[in-house]
Amino acid sequence: MPKHIFVAIPLMAVLAVLHTSVLAQIPVLGAAPQLLFLVALAWGIVRGMEEGLAWAFVAGMFTDLFSLAPLGISALAFMAGVAGPLMIRRALPPHRLLVAMFLAALGTVIYLTVYAVGLRIFGFGIGLGGLAELLPLIGFHAILILPIYLIVDSILRTFRPRRVEF
Amino acid sequence: MNLGRTQQRIRWVTLAVLVGSAILLTILDATGALTGVMGFVRDPLTYISGWTAARTDAVSDVVAGPRNLNTALEEINRLQAENDALRKENEQLLEAAGEAQILRELFNRAADTPEYRRITADVVGQDTNPILQSMLINKGYDDGVRVGMPVEAARGLVGQVYRVTNNAAQVALLTETASAIPVRLGSTRATGMLRGAGRGALPTIDWIDLQYDVQIGELVTTSGLGGKFPENLVIGRVVDVERNEAELFQRAVVQPAVDFTTVEIVFVVTEFNTINTDIFDEEP
Repeated sequence: MPKHIFVAIPLMAVLAVLHTSVLAQIPVLGAAPQLLFLVALAWGIVRGMEEGLAWAFVAGMFTDLFSLAPLGISALAFMAGVAGPLMIRRALPPHRLLVAMFLAALGTVIYLTVYAVGLRIFGFGIGLGGLAELLPLIGFHAILILPIYLIVDSILRTFRPRRVEF
Repeated sequence: MNLGRTQQRIRWVTLAVLVGSAILLTILDATGALTGVMGFVRDPLTYISGWTAARTDAVSDVVAGPRNLNTALEEINRLQAENDALRKENEQLLEAAGEAQILRELFNRAADTPEYRRITADVVGQDTNPILQSMLINKGYDDGVRVGMPVEAARGLVGQVYRVTNNAAQVALLTETASAIPVRLGSTRATGMLRGAGRGALPTIDWIDLQYDVQIGELVTTSGLGGKFPENLVIGRVVDVERNEAELFQRAVVQPAVDFTTVEIVFVVTEFNTINTDIFDEEP
């Protein structure tokens, strides 16, 4: 098992507890930001698709532990929300902060869509009104990704410098 | 020699005059005879003295400043600490008052229906999925909580236990789409099925017979049919009626009585009297 997973598991556990007990009780613009998803996405942006997906999986599992959703739905939604943006990343201009914002917004749209479809399959539904209430989350995530991305990036630069090949 | 005596005499006379004058002035001043004269002299001197004293105090303050400033700062710090302590105490009292209010309401609710058995639980979390609506409570299987048990707050029904672990339970709110509760309307006595509509929409009562004239504002309670919920748990009020004569049934939109975002303590109803439906099991 890759070493970074041993970081992901305790970190996501802490974030999930923080989310259910604090963030979910003080929603901003009607919805609490999905810190777990954003951290997984930021990790993926810095370390690449494979590690990002692993982190998204762990994040989704911990999210479902505190939710009515069937275990695994969030993992699927998060992985889709991380994989989709990272696939088109190479086609984007090289401005890393703007790209991170765009990827967060796109990733949020994808993961909410997968969520809604997946939950509908399992008997949970959401109307258009409910989806409209979640739209501010897209913009909120696009802003919140910046500090998270910068923190993750600086931590990784400190502890895991990139290998340079000559 | 003579000069010396003369000088000596002048000296003694001068001394005597001065001493005599002093004694005289003392006597005159003591008797108040010199008040006018002394006032004339004293007033300008007093003014000058006052001006000088003021300047002296200012200089004195500057010189003694650091000591007084330190004292003042100590006093400010002491008052600040005292203020912080009082604020904290006030917040604790407000918190205790709020909790006491919740407990009083819950007690009243429990007193209304003593035949139910309940477990009190704290709400410790909300759903982490933005689309779903549920709450996490700190009582679980070990406390007697089971899947399907009704959960109520002081103002009415909250929902139903959806998932249980040993020490915690996930409660699906009645607004969730997976929720279906048999209900009765207060004044018309019409029955129907309350279904959650999910995030951003109010729950609706389906299957209300068209013969009933459902009014906006009617109280909605559980009907007890089906045996999963006790009778007469308050759910909310009708805020809209969708009636179409071309259809067989009408629908009513319900505003829940409970504000789910502010609920802190809930009851899990573990035992209640179900409606006796044995009559339907008997063969005709």
